[in-house]
Amino acid sequence: MRDFDENEIIHNLKIDAHAVGIPEGAAETFIERTIKDAKKSLKNRSIITESDLHRAILKELKKYHADLAYVYENRDKII
Amino acid sequence: MLIMASFQLTPGVFALFYHYALGQFSKAKASYLSLFFILGAEIITTCLYLSIYYLTCIFFFNNLHPETSILFWTIAGILIALGIISLFFYYRRGAGTQLFIPRKYADALDQSAKSVKTRSDAFMLGALSGTCELAFTLPLYVVTCVEIMRMGAEGFASNFLTVLYILTPVIPLFFIRWKYQSGLNLADIQKSRVHDKGFTRFILAFCYIIVAVLIICFRTIYQ
Repeated sequence: MRDFDENEIIHNLKIDAHAVGIPEGAAETFIERTIKDAKKSLKNRSIITESDLHRAILKELKKYHADLAYVYENRDKII
Repeated sequence: MLIMASFQLTPGVFALFYHYALGQFSKAKASYLSLFFILGAEIITTCLYLSIYYLTCIFFFNNLHPETSILFWTIAGILIALGIISLFFYYRRGAGTQLFIPRKYADALDQSAKSVKTRSDAFMLGALSGTCELAFTLPLYVVTCVEIMRMGAEGFASNFLTVLYILTPVIPLFFIRWKYQSGLNLADIQKSRVHDKGFTRFILAFCYIIVAVLIICFRTIYQ
């Protein structure tokens, strides 16, 4: 069991967002909203697995940017 | 050459590396660093090829005739095995393009791609990813070196083929670099890799088996 590092998730999402060509301001806004909404959807659970968190973030990201969501979804399926 | 151009590990690591570089640096710096990745992949291919070539020379100069010996039958067998492995195990099951390498190594390559900051990091990552494919490329190097030795090392054709063979593995990298520079991103590149997954697998298996069959046929006629 371990704590998730929110800052690390945000940092990685920012790198991905910048790489797919999303302007910095827009990226910051919807990454913030994504994390906030993902937290809200998981707040009733006593145990959160890594895939729960991944799924919740992915669901929120899909609302904002399809390419960023695709990159996030496939981040460990490229090599 | 078609086999060398179809391998997916170096292009996969390169696509990841370029993505992370674009995310952390300017487009110009990412593009500049990518050249060092390609240079690393190219240098390691050349070094491996020349090492095998040197070993083949030793075989020839000692009249061991690797082209007719048990070595070549072994290599034909290995190529058939690699053809079967390429068809069924080159990609892992499931969505995406997860490759045959152990997950621990894939994660390490991913982390290395993410932490590239300098030209030497990019160069080393290119060299490392070229080395990780050795299980699939080593028998091909041996076959190519022996065939080029048989053609005569001084001839224009053999030298031209050597240069072409050494340059082939980096052509997909230049293609990916061009895709990034023309405005595509990792999502677009990965979608096309997923789309071509079955074709790549088939081409790898087909070419390996064709090379093995040709070796067996020529050896049988030669002997």
